[in-house]
Amino acid sequence: MNYELTTLFGLGSGYLVLLFGIAFITERGWIPQKLVRHPVVYVLSLGVFASVWAYYTSVGNALRDGYGYLAPAIGISLAFLLSPLLLKPLLELTRTYQLTSLADLMAFRYRSPWAGTVTTLVILVGVTPLIALQIRAIAETAAILSAQPSQGPVAIGFCILITLFAILFGTSRRAGRTRHDGLVMAIAFESLVKLLAFLSVGAFAVFGAFGGMDELGQWLQEQPQMLSSLRDTNYFSSFHVMALLFFTATVAMPHMFYVTFNESNGQRSLSFASWGLPLYFLLISLPVLPILWAGLRSGSSIDVEYFPVIIGVAYDMPMFTLLAYLGGLSAASGLIIVITLALSNMCLNHLILPIYQPTAKHDIYRWLLWHRRALITALIWAGFLFYYLPQDRTNIQIIGTVAFTAGLQFLPGILAILYWPQGNKKGFIAGLGTGVFIWFVFLMLPIFMELESGLLSLVSINFREIAALSLISNCLIFVAVSLLSSTTDEERSSAEICALDTIRRRKRSGLVAKSPEEFIRSLSKPLGDKTAAREVMQALQDLNIKLSDRRPYSMRLLRGRLEANLSGLLGPSIARELIDGYLPYSIVSEHGSSDLNVIENRIESYRSNLSGMAADLDNLRRYHRQILLDLPLGVCSLSFDNEIVMWNHTLEEFTGIKSTDIVGSQLADLSEPWLSLLTNFLDEDSSHSYKHNFELDDHKKSVNLHKAIIDESGKQDSSHEGVIVLLEDITETEILEAGLTHSERLASIGRLAAGVAHEIGNPITGIACLAQTIRDEYQSKELNNLAEQIIEQTNRTSKILQSLVNFAHAGTSQTRYENEIVSVLDCIEEAKTLISLDKKSKDIHFQMDCDPQTKIMGDFQRLLQVLVNLISNARDASQPDSNIILQVNVEGDRVRIAITDEGIGIPPAIRDRIFDPFFTTKEAGEGTGLGLSLVFSIVEDLNGDIDIISPIDKSKGRGTQVILRLPCYHEGGSQSTSAREQEAEAQ
Amino acid sequence: MYIPRSILLLLVIIYLLFLVGVDWMNLPEAAWYRPFLLGFLIVAVSSWAHREQGSDEL
Repeated sequence: MNYELTTLFGLGSGYLVLLFGIAFITERGWIPQKLVRHPVVYVLSLGVFASVWAYYTSVGNALRDGYGYLAPAIGISLAFLLSPLLLKPLLELTRTYQLTSLADLMAFRYRSPWAGTVTTLVILVGVTPLIALQIRAIAETAAILSAQPSQGPVAIGFCILITLFAILFGTSRRAGRTRHDGLVMAIAFESLVKLLAFLSVGAFAVFGAFGGMDELGQWLQEQPQMLSSLRDTNYFSSFHVMALLFFTATVAMPHMFYVTFNESNGQRSLSFASWGLPLYFLLISLPVLPILWAGLRSGSSIDVEYFPVIIGVAYDMPMFTLLAYLGGLSAASGLIIVITLALSNMCLNHLILPIYQPTAKHDIYRWLLWHRRALITALIWAGFLFYYLPQDRTNIQIIGTVAFTAGLQFLPGILAILYWPQGNKKGFIAGLGTGVFIWFVFLMLPIFMELESGLLSLVSINFREIAALSLISNCLIFVAVSLLSSTTDEERSSAEICALDTIRRRKRSGLVAKSPEEFIRSLSKPLGDKTAAREVMQALQDLNIKLSDRRPYSMRLLRGRLEANLSGLLGPSIARELIDGYLPYSIVSEHGSSDLNVIENRIESYRSNLSGMAADLDNLRRYHRQILLDLPLGVCSLSFDNEIVMWNHTLEEFTGIKSTDIVGSQLADLSEPWLSLLTNFLDEDSSHSYKHNFELDDHKKSVNLHKAIIDESGKQDSSHEGVIVLLEDITETEILEAGLTHSERLASIGRLAAGVAHEIGNPITGIACLAQTIRDEYQSKELNNLAEQIIEQTNRTSKILQSLVNFAHAGTSQTRYENEIVSVLDCIEEAKTLISLDKKSKDIHFQMDCDPQTKIMGDFQRLLQVLVNLISNARDASQPDSNIILQVNVEGDRVRIAITDEGIGIPPAIRDRIFDPFFTTKEAGEGTGLGLSLVFSIVEDLNGDIDIISPIDKSKGRGTQVILRLPCYHEGGSQSTSAREQEAEAQ
Repeated sequence: MYIPRSILLLLVIIYLLFLVGVDWMNLPEAAWYRPFLLGFLIVAVSSWAHREQGSDEL
């Protein structure tokens, strides 16, 4: 059964258009991100490695090498199964430093543009035949199925479509930064189609061609050579080399590097792929043998490699032929798209940019985009020419296999990145050169020489021995040259970054550019204003640093990030050249200048990877750090050059400066008053300084300061690592001390007053006696009346004096007061009479609003004292001819007495202090300042409370109302609860 | 150098399985798909070894 070439071409074109559609709707965001970023999609996109090699060539390999055809799948699976040893550390490196290809990685690790250039060239040579192989597979399957010898038009059409797809979905202005979701989704879809197609054809081979597993087993028993050839030890001829080659290819081949590292979603996806990809390769290898046997049984004369497409025709099931053709198309197109994308970046960064760089006048992004597109086109068509030009195309596969072996030469260099920091660029280039030389002279040249003989095979050119020899020579030369030659500091530092078991003690150096704006100005020279601004803003955004940040620590991070971002755009060599040239360090300090913040951040981010003793040490470090951070004293640690290394929580609270804003700054960047406080103290010789007073937000603050020098143990010189400053906030203690002193003073005055009261008591008693004598001895009514008033007043005075004595012994009062029924009205009237006796009394009008029946339980004299005090205060504050309103009413079981004046009111500033003893606003001699404080304590004694509202008239700011609430006595009924309580207490 | 424990365990398991598995799949009466059964077993063990353990994304 033959197909029309146009049918096959239409099918292929339709399939590629479908891919366009998938990529398009993904880029538009019509497919949920959850699905696009799912690890399964990542694993399927990694399936791009299963090219026509796995699809067609493996069937031929199975015939020749038996189980040896599994070598590529085993090599790749091993690399992923052991991903924590190789792929995961490399993923971290490539993500941190934006390394998009093996050439970038080599140039970064070995600090040499040459490492990148040589790597690119070797890969270019090794990969071009691979592209040609894919084109050949598509063209030849089309030719077989259509029975037309002319393959050219199919190959050309295929190349045009693939070029368009790669350019449209693989290149963007932000290449190297972002994932190409559309491309990844399309590639994942291709891998799925490829897998399903191959499994379907395999299932058809077993159940369609043979009729079932039992029939297949029976057929195999009839053909014993089939099973024995599978286990023929000859298959080991190149098994090890092939497995090792494909193991290396997971990192060395541009398409694998691209998908594994550039399109990864992080460690989680890679963990998933660690078993997901081996499963994929296992599944895609499974149908190979049934397809081979079904093809052999059919007696087809077509090349064994194309059995997947031919068995459908041979067993008259055309659907499986078309399915297999689509699967092959998927395998070839996926590989070509990804490999040319990755290679175009490598060629641009390591072959073109080192020779020619765009000037600042160009739009760099546009320039890079168009050059990348041109390179993709050139690479696809170079592959086409490699396929199209040779007369004898059957040998492309051998050439492809051998060319691919060049990738093996990167194995020593890749392993040294992670595990051998002593390896240097001279060793790497010498080893790689030796390996590639042996490979070229003893493998490639004989191939071209034997092409004429037509007897070319891997065995005839001693493929296994020479591949092993080239690798061993490469390793030996690499090690020998690295050990014998010198390594630059820059290279050593780069090796430490890459090595797994070191956390680099980065040197902390100052930068010439001190702010992001200066960064933009410096980078404008090579990149142009627009690009420089865009790159700096992008780096700031990546690091979550504000544009206003000036901290040296932030500037160092910004420089590192810019180098990484530019590395993603222009390759690490050019990026480093630009950064070193335009953002240089001002000083390179050697002693003790490790960037502790960076080291700590790195340990923090690596924490979950620590185990055993390393994890215990890290826990100990965190514990000690937490002690310092949570210490209830302010801790500020400074480096030897006064950079702030630690700023703990207490200090954050005290100063209001967050540690995230200040750590990494110079001490000089601190705001006042902290700058003067700390710098003055650091300049002092003494290690302790007590009671530093300063103003902070109009509040007086007081601190004690202590400092200690951090010495590196064992160092004999006078240098030190830094200083630790402790800051103790003693403001509260100072206030308490001042309060205590004040209380002491008050207590002294109280004692004095008590003494004076005692002394006054005696003459008062004398006066009272005399008044009683006058009352008793003289008959004059007027005189008796006066004497009665004198006695009454002396009694009152005695009681006041007694109160004063009691107040002085506050809390120790032994005096018992009367608990009687008191008429509030009588008490008010009495108070008014007493006040009216004062000669200085102003002409004040009292307005009474009082129920004469209102009574309270308490002490008449003490309530009188309260009322006299309050009314006289109201009078003093009032203008002549003004009113004082006295209201008494009952509120439940309380009596409310309100005294309202129209006076000047109480200023808000003193409102809280009016009940303080000895506080007065009256002039000296006019008041003692004890009045209201006595009122307060008496009201409390009477189980009442007191409220002051001032001003009453808020618009004028005048008037004061004092409200007393006292327990009510209900005539003939029960007493108020509080009165009962008081009674109970008295009993 | 730091090597995760799961990998050490995996290496030992792979080595032991490899020795036993190669003998087992090379028996004369062995079915053709035996190497694949071995492969599925390795993938199953690997998926257990690489199970998610709350890693921090670096």
